[in-house]
Amino acid sequence: MKRIVSIIILSTLFWTGCENREGSPGITDTEILIGNIQDLSGPIKELGLLIPAGSNMYLDYINEQGGVHGRQIKMLVEDHQYNPQKSVVAAKKLIEKDQVFCLYNVVGTSPAEALRPILEESGVPLIAPATMSSSMADMSRQAAQYIFHTDAGYDLQTRVLIDYILENNPDAVIGLCYQDDDYGANALQGCAEAESNHSISVQKEAFQRGATDFVGQTMNFMKGGCTDVIIGGIVREPVTIMKTAQAMNYKPNFYGLIPTVDPRVGLLAGEVGEGFIAPYHAYYPDSDESGPTLYRELCDKNNVPAKMRGIYHYYGFATAHVLVEGLRRAGKFPTRERLIKGLETLNNWESGVFPPITYSRNDHTGVESLYLLQLQGGKQIAITDWRD
Amino acid sequence: MKGRYQDENLKWIPILIIAIYLFPFLIKNATFSYKYYLYILNMAGIYIILTVGLDLLSGFTGLMSLGHAAFLAIGAYTSAILVDQVGLPFELSLIITPLIVGIFGFLIGFPALRIKGMYLGLTTMGFGFIVKRLIIALREWTGGSAGLQVSKASFFGISIKNDWDNYFLIYTFVILAVIIARRIVQSKLGRAFMAIRDSEQAAQASGIHLAKYKMIAFFISGMFAGFAGVLFAHTSHFISTDHFDISLSIFFIVMVLVGGIGSIYGAVLGTLFIVLMENMFIPLFKDGLSQYMHIEAGEFQVFIFGLIMLLFIIFQPQGLYGMWLKMRIYWKLFPFNPRKRFT
Amino acid sequence: MSELLTGLLQESISGIALGCIYALIALGFTLIYKATEVVNFAQGEIMMVGAYVNFFFVTQFSGMAGGLNGWVFLAALFCSIIFAVFFGIILDYIINRPLKDEPVFSIIMATISLAIILRSLTAMIAGPISLVPISPFGDSTIQAGGIVISVLDLAIIISAIILMGLFFFFFNNTRWGIAMKATSEDSEAAQLMGIPVKQVYRMVWVFAAIVGIISGVLLAPRMALLDTTMSYLGLKAFPAAILGGFGSIPGAVVGGVILGIIETVSMGTLSFHFAWIKEINDIIVWIVLIAVLMIRPDGLFGIAKVKRV
Repeated sequence: MKRIVSIIILSTLFWTGCENREGSPGITDTEILIGNIQDLSGPIKELGLLIPAGSNMYLDYINEQGGVHGRQIKMLVEDHQYNPQKSVVAAKKLIEKDQVFCLYNVVGTSPAEALRPILEESGVPLIAPATMSSSMADMSRQAAQYIFHTDAGYDLQTRVLIDYILENNPDAVIGLCYQDDDYGANALQGCAEAESNHSISVQKEAFQRGATDFVGQTMNFMKGGCTDVIIGGIVREPVTIMKTAQAMNYKPNFYGLIPTVDPRVGLLAGEVGEGFIAPYHAYYPDSDESGPTLYRELCDKNNVPAKMRGIYHYYGFATAHVLVEGLRRAGKFPTRERLIKGLETLNNWESGVFPPITYSRNDHTGVESLYLLQLQGGKQIAITDWRD
Repeated sequence: MKGRYQDENLKWIPILIIAIYLFPFLIKNATFSYKYYLYILNMAGIYIILTVGLDLLSGFTGLMSLGHAAFLAIGAYTSAILVDQVGLPFELSLIITPLIVGIFGFLIGFPALRIKGMYLGLTTMGFGFIVKRLIIALREWTGGSAGLQVSKASFFGISIKNDWDNYFLIYTFVILAVIIARRIVQSKLGRAFMAIRDSEQAAQASGIHLAKYKMIAFFISGMFAGFAGVLFAHTSHFISTDHFDISLSIFFIVMVLVGGIGSIYGAVLGTLFIVLMENMFIPLFKDGLSQYMHIEAGEFQVFIFGLIMLLFIIFQPQGLYGMWLKMRIYWKLFPFNPRKRFT
Repeated sequence: MSELLTGLLQESISGIALGCIYALIALGFTLIYKATEVVNFAQGEIMMVGAYVNFFFVTQFSGMAGGLNGWVFLAALFCSIIFAVFFGIILDYIINRPLKDEPVFSIIMATISLAIILRSLTAMIAGPISLVPISPFGDSTIQAGGIVISVLDLAIIISAIILMGLFFFFFNNTRWGIAMKATSEDSEAAQLMGIPVKQVYRMVWVFAAIVGIISGVLLAPRMALLDTTMSYLGLKAFPAAILGGFGSIPGAVVGGVILGIIETVSMGTLSFHFAWIKEINDIIVWIVLIAVLMIRPDGLFGIAKVKRV
């Protein structure tokens, strides 16, 4: 038995190494291979299902129309369990063994950051890392020329929110409840910028990833007399904080960052969540722009269940636009250099899902403006224009 | 000299060392994706240095540690700061960092003088959390939770650029670490450790200074982890607190246990087994299987990994090294083996 | 001053509720440790399984009854406990039986692999999308003198006290309880005295599963979303178990409550007045723990074992 097992293992090892491809890695006459690294079994595995599902929906749509320059796009998804070490292993596997053309949508800040040395070594572009931390678009970092960030950073989101709050109420006392990790660190950066712009001081309270109890933080905001509280969580945090505050008869205005633009916030918070404001960086899936219309059509066509539709599924769908456009601009005989060059020619490019995107040699920041959504009657309603 | 290794066949050791150095050439010829395999082997190599040290502490001295990822983290961050911010050469950091981590081990040794068994295991686990928090709090040097970029190493003028170079650097130190650990185990120090593990009272009665030897065990174990940390930082070029999760500490203990607790070779085998299983064999197995049916990466892989571990521990509780010893005896006695003893 | 006091009281009450959750998980650790000296790393996962199973029963029964009412939750709880009994027996067969004579280390490792298996299996069956657990008490709260407590928290506190009382009584006053005590002292001697050690072990695992599943049922509605990360709370309950002294039932509850209060108060009032506390919020529990262990190496309620040479 032991011998059989070891023979099987060894033979898989060698058999997998035996095929070789010609030309640019990941490109054949009929296919383009894309690598995607998601959290499929870690703390945010929900995103690991939704984001690639959204991307695949758009890629299938493109493939049905004949693909990009006659090539079908195929996406391989690997797991990193939100662990940077495993993220590197997965990237090595995709680049060296599966020979993907480029990487796309690596979820999480530290898993994406950990890939920088590999990107530099192998020259593989990483398109639309699925993290909103603005450090991904920092051109002074290692391998920055290979990374094309699409999202508005958490720092920008925090700044826009604080600007908005002070516009409406110059005497507002602002509180920020941040997650004590890379997500929160980036939000704190934006908060510090806004603090120096407006010469105010924001009351900051931290919570741990996965915390369930927010009584302490809510009490502190109450004691500090905060009239406006920004919650940098995902779904559980804003809902629990709003409910806790309600129970204590403390009624400030609540705001969240982009991850809180989840339909479940409205669903779970119910009446308490009424008036909750959060920024967003793409055309909202319910709006009438061309991208969202296509999104709803494709969702209906593919029978996507209602519980899957939402900003994360839409996020995969939206970022796939940038990927496909990049592949188009890489030309009939794509190489990795041509892909980078092609993306850098994007100038006020209208995708239908994002506001105009511009990339250049020295600017890999995608969306640089936001608008605000408010929960009204359980629905997200746009209340402002694009702001930056 | 001969008396030291009575139980083993010494002539295999040089052959094994040569084989380790030749191995990358073999896989470079066998497969074009050799960098992927080398990367995983490098990772295993770094972990081997650490688990060998952990085995000295947990396997030989009987002091349970669930905080070894923290030692690795201290080593990695210390070296990154020393080399990149203070400007020390890498070679010097290789000496200083393990000493610093050893001192941290020494500090953790203090509670160990009073706290025993699982209490100690969970105290060290707490130490892991505390270190992680300290790294975030010292964000001016460590970059906080955003992580830290680390420069590439250069070892006596040879710059260590890629997985290929890393392999030779790491495995040189793996061989060194294993040899040193073997020497420690077979010295007076090692026997004192084992005496403490078997019975503290008996050890004390026969004149072994408990406090002194426990502290030494923590110091040595910390030094091994510090060494691993230096190599970790300068071969992966990016470190963050997410790398050194509590689950990693638990995995280190699992690696030692799978190999067979209380044997240096066991720690090596166990680490190789777990790292290769998790990062190479199971993904490849999944890739092979997904050609015939639809399988998503992720949970399925984790499930298979857990299942293999559980079955392994149920059927081979003595670990890989115990399995190897049994097999060796089996072949030695081949025609006359009493069936029942070797199930 | 009175504001400070109300704040502290409010935080303490929430802390007690949080602490009771830790206490329930720690109770699971304690039961198994008491009888077998095994630290069960899968206790958090057992709790998670409980939350999922209860969710399944609630949705099934509410479908059958055509709506949610008190009976649905009671029936679901009952079925979850029955499930827990079988679950405990299965765990005993998988983990404890084959490894009975092996070193404790091996069993601990088996529980670690069990934790991995349970987590991935649950995620495979239930799917990666988080569930929305339903609380039997809704969002209702009780107010008394400016202090608010949710009914759910009250239920958690009451059940923790009841379970602790039951187990305490069981271990000290019943034949089976005393048999368990004897087994944990010396399993061979107990076997010689005619105690069915195998059944005792099975019973311990069943009890641990029941406690785990009840804690899962109670905790699930407290988190707005139910996913497998819930199992990580098992790690947070470790300090509670150690603080009280592994193997002491009142110790587990007291340890849990102390840590719950410390955690909430340090996040609230303490960090409001001393900003630097914010930096060490999540490790303050561990610092307290290590400090206590330095003074009492066997925890607050633990009894030092005298080891014979």
